[in-house]
Amino acid sequence: MKAKEYIEKVRSGEISAVKTTEGILNEIKKINKDYGFFNTISENFALDLAEKVDKNPKGKLAGLSISLKDDLCVKDVETMCSSNILRGYKPPFNATLVNSLIREGAILIGKTNQDAFGFGSFNVNTDTGIPKNPLDKSRVTGGSSGGAAGFTALTKFPHVAIGESTGGSIVAPCSFCGVSGLSPTYGLVDYANSLDKLGPVAKHVEDLELVLDVIKGHDVKDSTSLRDDLRKDRTVKKIGLIKETLDVDPKIKEIILKKLDEMNVKYEKVSLPKTSKYALSSYYIIAMAEASTNLAKYCGMRYGQEGKVNMPFNEYFSEIRTKNFNKEVKRRIILGTFTRMAGYRDAFYLKAMKVRTLVIEEYKEAFRKYDLLVSPTMPIVAPKLSEVNKLKPKDHYMMDVMTVGPNLAGIPHMSVNAGFYNNLPVGIMFTGDHLNENKLFKIGENVI
Amino acid sequence: MTKIGLEVHLQLNTNSKVFCSCSTKQVETPNSNVCEICCGFPGSKPVLNKKAFEKALKIALALNCTINKTTFFSRKGYFYPDLPKNFQITQYESPIGINGSFRGIRIRRVHLEEDPGALIHKGSYCLVDYNRSGIPLVEIVTEPDFKTAKEAREFLRELITDLSYLDVYDKKSDFGLKADLNISTIGAKVEIKNVNGLKDIEDALTYEEERQSKEVPDRSETRGWNAEKRITILQRTKESEDDYGYITETDLPILEINDKLLKEIKSSIPELSKEKSTRFTSQYQLSDKDAKVLSNNKKLSELFEKVAEKVNPEIAAKWIIRDLVNQLNYHKKTLDQVKIKPEYMVDLLKLFEGKNITDNTTKQVMIKLIKEKNFSPKEYIEKNNLIMQSSNSKIEEWCEQAVKDCPQAVEDYKNGNEKSLNFVVGKVMQLSNKTANPDIVRKILVKLIRK
Repeated sequence: MKAKEYIEKVRSGEISAVKTTEGILNEIKKINKDYGFFNTISENFALDLAEKVDKNPKGKLAGLSISLKDDLCVKDVETMCSSNILRGYKPPFNATLVNSLIREGAILIGKTNQDAFGFGSFNVNTDTGIPKNPLDKSRVTGGSSGGAAGFTALTKFPHVAIGESTGGSIVAPCSFCGVSGLSPTYGLVDYANSLDKLGPVAKHVEDLELVLDVIKGHDVKDSTSLRDDLRKDRTVKKIGLIKETLDVDPKIKEIILKKLDEMNVKYEKVSLPKTSKYALSSYYIIAMAEASTNLAKYCGMRYGQEGKVNMPFNEYFSEIRTKNFNKEVKRRIILGTFTRMAGYRDAFYLKAMKVRTLVIEEYKEAFRKYDLLVSPTMPIVAPKLSEVNKLKPKDHYMMDVMTVGPNLAGIPHMSVNAGFYNNLPVGIMFTGDHLNENKLFKIGENVI
Repeated sequence: MTKIGLEVHLQLNTNSKVFCSCSTKQVETPNSNVCEICCGFPGSKPVLNKKAFEKALKIALALNCTINKTTFFSRKGYFYPDLPKNFQITQYESPIGINGSFRGIRIRRVHLEEDPGALIHKGSYCLVDYNRSGIPLVEIVTEPDFKTAKEAREFLRELITDLSYLDVYDKKSDFGLKADLNISTIGAKVEIKNVNGLKDIEDALTYEEERQSKEVPDRSETRGWNAEKRITILQRTKESEDDYGYITETDLPILEINDKLLKEIKSSIPELSKEKSTRFTSQYQLSDKDAKVLSNNKKLSELFEKVAEKVNPEIAAKWIIRDLVNQLNYHKKTLDQVKIKPEYMVDLLKLFEGKNITDNTTKQVMIKLIKEKNFSPKEYIEKNNLIMQSSNSKIEEWCEQAVKDCPQAVEDYKNGNEKSLNFVVGKVMQLSNKTANPDIVRKILVKLIRK
C-alpha cells in the first residue's frame, strides 16, 4: 500500500496507527538481528505517538511510520551517527525535522544504521554492525544511509525513511536496495554544513513527495536554510543523458538506456566534462575539510564517550579520539586537516571551492537546454561484502563518481529503480536544477 | 627604533550572545547561561546576532575602515578545553572593515568573533565555565604605528572612550579590554599574548622594551605577561606562523552589506570625543583640560551641554567638572547610576548664578541630588529657607551673636591673626543655616570687631 492510501485510512479511522506500529515494531525486532538496519528502536516513543494519532487522526502523515538516519537528533533517544564516540549520547533537543514530522502525525520508530558520520558508500564503515542487503544477505546495502534504504526495501508496511546525503548517501543505497530516494536542493530541508542534505527514502515516488512537503521549509535555527519554495513547474520535455556517466558496466548502461526508451521521453547525450573530471576530487577535499572541523568537537568532554582525565588535555583528547573513531573517520580527519593547513590550503581547499563554482556553472548551462539530466546512480550493482573488503579507500571514493556532482552543486537528484541485473537492482538517477524537485517527481512517476 | 602594534579584543555590549540567544549578563553560577549552540552540541547551528554584527560594522565605520560589502565567517581550528567546538567562529579572509585609521594610527582590520569559555584552575584540577562562550567580541588590529608604550595606552584610552560613545562597548564590563601586543625594538618581533587593561598593557610594553635592550631577541617569540611579578615570560619561539587551518563557516550565510544599512549605521555615529573636545574649547571657551574631562565621559558632556544652554558655561563647567565629579567619586557612584535630571541641575546652578544661594548651599544640594531621586532643588531650597540672606540687619544680628560666642577667636584676630576671622565667619554661617552671604558677613564682622 502506498503511504498516501494508508494515511487516508488512518485518518478515516479505518486503520489503527497503534496496530500498524505494533506490526512494524515486531517486524523490526524479528529481522534486525539478521540485517542490522536499526541502531535504536524507539518502541515506547513510537507507541505513544501512535496512540496520540489514533485519538486524533489528523496530520499530513497521520500514522505513517518513519525511521530516521542515526545522524538526526531526537530528544532523549540515543543518537550516535553509528560512531562509538557518541555511544550512549542522548541529545537534549529535537532536530527541527523531527518536530515537523511529529506535528504531522508521523510515528518515529527508530534510528537507522549508517557509515559512521556518513563516511562511506557501502555502509561498511560503521561501528554498529554492517547492515545486509535485503535482496542478498552476502551483499552490502550501500551507504551511507544503508539502514534507511535496506529497511524500506524489506518492510511489508507503509514506510518512509529519512536519509542524509553529503555526496550521494541517499541515492547510493537506494540504487543497491531497489528503492526510491530523493536528495533535495541544498537548504530546502534544514541541516548542517555546505554539502549536507536530508531527504526521504521510499518504495514509491509519490511517498517521497508527500514527506518532502512536510520536512521542507525555512528553519529559523538554520540560517543557511532557504526561504524559497519549490518551483511549481512539472513539465519535462527534454532530458540530457550525461555522456561521461555511461562508462560503466555495459549491462548497467543497457538497463538505463532501455528504461529511457520505455519511458517515451525525449533525451539526448550531453557532455559535462568539468563535472566528470573534477567534481569527485573537489568534493572529497571540501567534504573532508569541513568534516575534520565538525568532528573536532568530539573529544571526551561535554558529551559522548569519556575517559579518565589524568593527563594533559591534548593527550586526553587524542586518547579518546584514537580509541573511538574508526579508521575511515580518522582517514578523513587527517586528509581534511591536511587540505586546509597553511601551504596546502591554496592548492587544495581554496582550489576545490573554485572548482565547485565551475561545476555549478556547468550544470546551470545544461539546465538551460534540458529540464533534467539523467545517469546511472552507481557504476556497479550491490557488491558482496567480501568484494568490498578488498577495495582500497580510493576505490570506495570512486563509487561516488556519478553522485558527487549534484551534491557539490546542491541540486536535487533522485534515484529510482530502473531494472535488475542478475537479480540485483540498478538505480537510475535524475538530476534537476535548484528547487525543481517537482520535475523529478513527475518523471519518477513515469519510471515505474 | 621601537615599533608597537596592537590586537585589541573588546566585548560588544549586546544583550544576547553572538550566535545564540543566551544572555550575556554576568552570572554567578557557572554554565547557567548556556545552550546547545554555545556548548557546541552535535546538530546545533549558529544564528548570527544582527545587533552584534551592526555594532561591529559601526566600529569599522567609526575607525574609517573600508567596508567589505560581502563578508563571511570562518572556522579557526585549535584544540582547547574552553573552546566547545574546538574551533572558533571568527572572520579571516573578509573582515568587516580593513585599512582604517584612528587618531593617526592605521587600522589593519576590524572583525567580529565569538569568545571561548573560561578555565577555572583549582589546584590539581581544572573546571570549565561556558557562560562566556559565544559572547560577541570585536577584534581591532592596528599597524605597528606606535613608538612608545605611552602612545599605545593613550590610543586605547581614546578608543574605548569613543566606543562607549558609539554605544557598542561598556567600559565597566568585567571583560574589559584584552590585547595581544606586538613589539620590535632592535631585534626580532615579540608578541605578548593576552594582556588585560590599559595599565598592564603600558607596563608590559615598557618592560619588554627595556628587556629587549638588554637581551636582543634573535628570533620571533611569544611571551606572556605575569601581572603579579610585572614581567613578561617566554612561552615559545615561533618558527613559523600559527596554523589554524581556516575554512569557511558554511553553517552561516554570506552577508551582503547593502547601502541602506551602511547609510543607516553611518548616520547613527555621533560626534566622537576628540571633535567634541575641540568644539567645547571654542564654543564654550573651556580650557583644554576641562574640555577633555567632559568629552571623556559621554553622559557628563551631555549633562554639561544641556545645563550650559541655560547657565553661564563657565559656571556649569566649574560645578559639573569639579564638584559634581568629586562628589560622585566620593560617594562611589557614577552618573549613570544617579541619573541627575539636567533641569534640576539648571535650577540649582541658576540660583547660584543669580547669587540666590551660597556656594555652600549649592554644594549641599548637589550632594542631595546625587543621593535622592525625584528631588527638586528649587522646591527644597524654598521650603527650607536656604535663599541667601543679604539683608544687613539680619546678618548683623548673627554677627553680633557670633562675636559673643567666640571671644578667643575675636581676641586673636585683634592681635593680628587674620585667619581667626574665618572661625567667626564659620560660626555666622552655622547660625544662619549657611544662608548668609559670606562677603557681607566678612564686612560686618570686620566692622564690628574693630569698633
